[in-house]
Amino acid sequence: MQKPKLVYSTFIRTTPKQLWAAITKPEFTRQYWGAGVNVSDWKKGSKWEHVFEDESRTVGITGKVVESVPPKRLVLTWAAPNHLADKSRVTFEIEPIEDMVNLIVTHDQLKAGSAMTKGVSSGWPRVLSSLKSFLETGKGLTLTCGH
Amino acid sequence: MKTKTRKNNAMQKPKLVYSTFIRTTPKQLWAAITKPEFTRQYWGGATNVSDWKKGSKWEHHFEEEADPVYIVGKVLESVPPKRLVLSWASPDNVGDKSRVTFEIEQVEDMVNLVVTHDSFKAGSTMVKKVSRGWPRVLSSMKSFLETGKGLNIWYDQK
Repeated sequence: MQKPKLVYSTFIRTTPKQLWAAITKPEFTRQYWGAGVNVSDWKKGSKWEHVFEDESRTVGITGKVVESVPPKRLVLTWAAPNHLADKSRVTFEIEPIEDMVNLIVTHDQLKAGSAMTKGVSSGWPRVLSSLKSFLETGKGLTLTCGH
Repeated sequence: MKTKTRKNNAMQKPKLVYSTFIRTTPKQLWAAITKPEFTRQYWGGATNVSDWKKGSKWEHHFEEEADPVYIVGKVLESVPPKRLVLSWASPDNVGDKSRVTFEIEQVEDMVNLVVTHDSFKAGSTMVKKVSRGWPRVLSSMKSFLETGKGLNIWYDQK
């Protein structure tokens, strides 16, 4: 049976380096990814965490860095810390085109009908819209999702 | 349940759904889709031409070209600035008709635009073209509405 595979393609007026930094550096991520930051040394095999920056410092998502080729390709495993068996995979592909970058985010190995599938289907369009606004205008969008 | 899901998958026609959040107003977004003076600034030089009344004809034009009409169709629903439903076909192959729905919803200081392209005929050649096109057009539309400048979206086709 087919597993859900979500693919999002967006074109952003930026550089691959700036886009890589926006995904991996907390000082940028917190400006557009709701209240969350992505924390890791981004080396292959390392752990990474999506941490909510409120007083709770809750880890929202945890996983491993599967591939890391800055500033072109980042592959992560992805699971809620209280539901590690429901593990999926996120791939960021970054390609420069003239004065833009084409970012393709693929979230696959999801379980059909899972809460995670539903959550990320709603979350990615918001996060990627806010990422583009942040990189092009300096200001992310008001995201009320993700929790 | 499993059987039903499998059957549905096998029979499913392509349905493309794009959701984007844009810091703008529903009125500005509606104008960006329907008014040539805005559309040409982000849709690769192209415009959408119609009076946008239900039942009217609409055309997608590349104004600079000798044979400018690229897409033709009818306005199936028109509820400015919330909902626009169009039929969509190449003038060379009007039998290969599909449907595009624009849904515009205000969310705080943003608008959530959901574009759904569906009702493709079996074996439609349009699916592949528009799968490449929509992410570019919608990215450029967002850039235009938020920064005043669209993107060079047909970089590989000129």
